[in-house]
Amino acid sequence: MTEATLTPAAALVERVLDAARAAGQLDLAPGRRDAAHAALNRIAFPTTRDERWKYTRVARLQQLTFDDASNASPTVPVPLSGLDAHRFAFVDGQFVSGDLHHSADTFIGPLSAALSECPERLAALGQDHFADDEWFAALQAAAPQDGGAVLIPDGVTLDKPVLIHHHLSAGTHLAQPQHLIVLGREAKANVILWTTSDIDSSGLYNGAITADVGEHAHLGLEIVQDEHGTSHHIGHHQFRQAASSRLEVRTATARAHWLRNDLHIQQDGQYGDSTFHGCYLPNDRQFVDHHTRIDHAMPDGRSDELYKGLAADSATAVFNGKIMVHPDAQRIEAYQSNANLILGEQAAINAKPELEIYADDVRCSHGCTTGQFNAEALFYLRSRGMTETEARNLLVRAFLAEVLDGFRPEIQAHVESVYAERLGWS
Amino acid sequence: MLKIDNLHARIGDTDILKGLSLELGAGEVHAIMGPNGSGKSTLASILAGREEYEVTEGSITFDGVDLLELDATERAVAGIFLAFQYPVEIPGVSNINFLRTAINSIREQREEAPLSGKDFLAKVKECAQLVELDGKLRDRSVNEGFSGGEKKRNEIFQMAMLEPKLAVLDETDSGLDIDALRIVSHGVNAMRDAGRSFLVITHYQRLLDHIVPDHVHVLAGGRIVHSGGKELALELEEKGYDWIVGAEAQQA
Repeated sequence: MTEATLTPAAALVERVLDAARAAGQLDLAPGRRDAAHAALNRIAFPTTRDERWKYTRVARLQQLTFDDASNASPTVPVPLSGLDAHRFAFVDGQFVSGDLHHSADTFIGPLSAALSECPERLAALGQDHFADDEWFAALQAAAPQDGGAVLIPDGVTLDKPVLIHHHLSAGTHLAQPQHLIVLGREAKANVILWTTSDIDSSGLYNGAITADVGEHAHLGLEIVQDEHGTSHHIGHHQFRQAASSRLEVRTATARAHWLRNDLHIQQDGQYGDSTFHGCYLPNDRQFVDHHTRIDHAMPDGRSDELYKGLAADSATAVFNGKIMVHPDAQRIEAYQSNANLILGEQAAINAKPELEIYADDVRCSHGCTTGQFNAEALFYLRSRGMTETEARNLLVRAFLAEVLDGFRPEIQAHVESVYAERLGWS
Repeated sequence: MLKIDNLHARIGDTDILKGLSLELGAGEVHAIMGPNGSGKSTLASILAGREEYEVTEGSITFDGVDLLELDATERAVAGIFLAFQYPVEIPGVSNINFLRTAINSIREQREEAPLSGKDFLAKVKECAQLVELDGKLRDRSVNEGFSGGEKKRNEIFQMAMLEPKLAVLDETDSGLDIDALRIVSHGVNAMRDAGRSFLVITHYQRLLDHIVPDHVHVLAGGRIVHSGGKELALELEEKGYDWIVGAEAQQA
């Protein structure tokens, strides 16, 4: 079949498959890629008529055509250069640098190396369920590329954080990295996932994080999205938690032209504990969309969700948070809070909490607010001698502090400085 | 130091100040009293640069500078301080961080070197003692969860830190019990000196037992209708405002 006779969505699939094949892709769990292909045939390309894509226009993504992978090595920024961490860098879905660490069942390195050294430990990748009903997740699973792998055996606590950095280079490139984090029983790890893109990038990042947190294990994940250029970013962040495990995932969308995050936490064991916080601040004509979902499938779990953001100028922010409490999930506690500030007359916030509760003995609450800058507070600060710029910066920092304080100080400082710079207030 | 001449101001379509004139010399304490709705808080807001008010006529000069040409920030830099009637709560901003940002911002705009961390903390300690503000309140978010008295003490604490040339106290005594009133007044009195003036706006005479003014003015109907010495406050307490406001109306 020639491309001319394909639907725009099917043509995009062909171009993505071609680009991934040419640049390099991974052959993960048997049958996984076939299932993804089948899903792509089954699922319709999302439109704003789909509830989950109501505010998120993806039609123009179908027009993307990708440049050939470049042989020139791009200049890749080094995030948090002062931080002592296991560092791995990827560019356009390909591994470029980092020291692989593989000893006594602890593996930290690129997924491509894990695939050859310990394929038996990648079973979590066969259990993804995003790809069953999400078009872009299926697209990613149909041609997955290299990403970070952090495999920690029972009882091991990682000595220092793992910093996985993905960079999208100049031009229109494709990146479909697959990151994998597996923590054994009572294991503990802190991971930072940092994405950047070149100022001249107009490509597509369609990446996935799959994490499996074992019993009594503790995963801290900090996601920092600091992307220049006009690239599109779709993130599929999927977590499965065993009994008594603890997950803290914090997402800071520092800078992005067009970005959608789908975060899904599945509490599959009793006494699961999930904290998921996020912040965002689109301006100009940027678009940032955070969709989250937590499934409380088992009893006695707890979840704490907090997303805060601002939309300035003509930007749009979307927040959709779903809490699903299954019939067996008695005595769970689930708290969700979403607060937004609008800073421009043309700015828009679309916020929607969704609670579905099928157990009868639970504690759930949600709060969602959207408001404007507190003019009285601004005047108070200025009357004490602060310039308008300083006063606004202080109020933005204060508004986001609840979320940003949860990140390590280096990340907090970085994100704050990006926000201040972007709003032109510093 | 401060000269207000024939000031007319409105908010929306409502005229509030209708020809207010007042002069304050350096080191003087003036009290402004008057019935509710007479324009007392409007005067305070206009002096601090609140933008909702429109000045339609008249002038304000401060140290020879046209105050109406300055925005709120510039007025603070010039040395004007307003103690708010309703101090604003700012969650997420610690009192200390707030003050340090403010002080260094003012110093930068005055082309002075920033205060060192050590000097800043020494000053915080000294000024906090003045109004008996304990350490916990210094470190908490600005005014968040403070009692009424704590908020007012925090205003005077900020005033002491910022060392203004002109301090406008807008109903600082409202909502204060006698102990808080004593503490706040002590703080203000300790700040009195030859280079600093105070405009004390109050509804009640009792504050003026503690902060003894050089001059007392009665503001009614948007104008100063009567002025006198400190004894005028006692007379007002005794007789109310009607004898002045009424006489003024008859003259007009």
